[in-house]
Amino acid sequence: MTHPPGASGGAHPLVPVSALLGGALALAFGAAWLLADPGALAGYLGSPRAVALTHLFTLLHVTLVYAGTLQQLPAVLLVADLAWKRLGYVALPLLVAGGALLVHGFASGFRAVPLALGGAAATAALALVAAQTVRTAVARPPRDPASRGLVAAACYLALTMALGTLLAGARGSPAVARALGYAPELHQTAGLVGAFLLGIAAAGHKLLAMFALAKGGSAWRVTAVTWLVHGSFAATLAGAASWLLGGPTGAERSAGTVATLCVCAAGALQVVEVAALLRRRLRRRLEAPVARYVLAHAFLPLAGLLLAAGLRQAAVVAALLGFVGLAVSGMLVKILSFLAWTTAFGGGAGRSGPAPLLRDLTRPWLEPAITAGLGLGALAATAAVAAQAASSPAAAAPLATLAAASLFVGAGAQLWQAATVAWRSLRAGAAPRREVVTTK
Amino acid sequence: MTTIAELIERDAAAPAAEVLEALTAVVDPELGVDVVNLGLVYAVTVEGSAARVSMTLTTPGCPLQATIEDQVRARVASVPGIEGASVELVWDPPWTPLAITEEGKRQLGWL
Repeated sequence: MTHPPGASGGAHPLVPVSALLGGALALAFGAAWLLADPGALAGYLGSPRAVALTHLFTLLHVTLVYAGTLQQLPAVLLVADLAWKRLGYVALPLLVAGGALLVHGFASGFRAVPLALGGAAATAALALVAAQTVRTAVARPPRDPASRGLVAAACYLALTMALGTLLAGARGSPAVARALGYAPELHQTAGLVGAFLLGIAAAGHKLLAMFALAKGGSAWRVTAVTWLVHGSFAATLAGAASWLLGGPTGAERSAGTVATLCVCAAGALQVVEVAALLRRRLRRRLEAPVARYVLAHAFLPLAGLLLAAGLRQAAVVAALLGFVGLAVSGMLVKILSFLAWTTAFGGGAGRSGPAPLLRDLTRPWLEPAITAGLGLGALAATAAVAAQAASSPAAAAPLATLAAASLFVGAGAQLWQAATVAWRSLRAGAAPRREVVTTK
Repeated sequence: MTTIAELIERDAAAPAAEVLEALTAVVDPELGVDVVNLGLVYAVTVEGSAARVSMTLTTPGCPLQATIEDQVRARVASVPGIEGASVELVWDPPWTPLAITEEGKRQLGWL
C-alpha cells in the first residue's frame, strides 16, 4: 500500500455553487426571453437579439457553469490543490459582469462601449481561470489524457473570449478588420470545439466512469479527440490566415474542409468512447442527470448529418443547444449536488447525525421535465433553423415557438432543481434522513 | 459480512471487528452504500486503545474525501475502549467495483 500522492482540494464549494446556480438562472432568463421573442430563432441569426441570446447561453450559462466547475474539477482530475484558491471570488463576478455587458451590447445593436468593456472583463476573467488551471497542472503535471485535455480546454475557453473580443473590435473598426481580418469561424471553433467539446470529453471521461461505475475508459480515444480538436483549430487558423494574407485560391476552403473532418472525427470518437464506457459500467440504471449527459451525445451525429447536408447553422445549433446544453445540464445537477452536500455536511460544517444521500437532495420528478424540455427544445430549435435555411419560414415560426416553450419548461425545471439542491443542502435537517443499513 | 478488510489486533482494548462494524454507519452519499460494503476499507488495526483504519476512496481527489475521513474517525472513536482514531488513505491497490460485497450489491439494487 502507498500513501496518497498529495492533498487535493478546490476552492471553497460556495464559489462553484454560486456559479452553477447563476448559470441555471441565466438559462431560465434566456429561455423566458426567447419565449417572449421566438422570432429571434426563426429569423436572421446574425441579428442583435439572436447574437445576444446566443451569448447569453454560451457565456452566462455554459461558460459560467464551466468556469465554476473549474474551481473544483482540476483538483479532482489532477489530484492536486487548486492554485490560487481565492481567485474565483474575483474571476467569476468579473465573468458575470463582462457577460452581462456583452449581452446588453449585442442586444442594443452592437454598441461599442459595452462590447469593449464586457469583452475586456470576460477575457480577463477567463484568462485568470485558465492561468489558475495551468498553474495547478504545472504543480502536478497531468499523467492522463483526460486531465491534459481539461487543461487545454480551459485555455481554449480563454482564447475563445479573446478572439470574440477581437471580432467585436473588427466589426466596429475597419482598421482592426484590416489588420486582423474577420473570422467568426475561428471564434466558433475555439469555443464550440476547443473549449466545449474537448472540455466535455475530458471531464466526462472521468466523471461518467465515476458515476456509472465504469472503470477503464480508453485513454487513446481521449488523446485522439484532443489532437483532432487541435487539428481542427489549426486548420481553421490556417484558413483565416490564408484569407487575411491573400493566400492561394481555394486554400481557405481546403482548410475549412480539414477542420470539419477533424471535428466530425472527434465527435464520432467521443460518441464511441461514451458507448464503450456504458458497456463497461456496473451501475446498470443510470441516474437521470447522468442519463441526460449520455443523451446529449445523440446530438453529435445529428450535427454531423446536418453539416453533411450543408446546413452549417443548424448543425451549430444542434451541437450547442443539444450536445453542450444537455451535457452541461446533466453535470450541473450532479456536480451541484456534490458541492452543496460538501458545503452543508462536510468536515467542520457543524452538522450532526446522518447526512442525506446526494439523490435525496433533488426532486426526482423534475428530472424528466428537464431532459424532455431541453432535449425537445434543442431538436425544435435545430429544425427551426434548418427550415429557415431551406427557405420555409412557414415551418420555421411554429418550430421556433415550440423550441422556446420547451426550453422554457426545461430551463425552469432545471432552475427549480438547482435551487432545491442548494436549499435542501444548506437548510440543516431539511432533506429526508436515511437510516443507515448495518450488516451483521 | 464478507469483506476484504484485514483485521489486526495487538493488546487491543476493543475487537477490530467491532471497529469495522462501526464503519458500516459511514455511507458514501453518492452511492448510498457504506464504506465497508463498498470495499473501501482495507485494514483495521487496533493497538491498545488506538485504532487505525487503512482505506481508499472510489476515486483519487474525491471531493468527499475530508467528509468521509471525518466520519470514519468519529465512528471509530465512538467504539467503547477506543481512545485514539486515525485514518490512512491509500491508493494502491486502487479500488474497483469488484471490491463491492454481496451486501453492497444488494444495497445498490444489483441483486
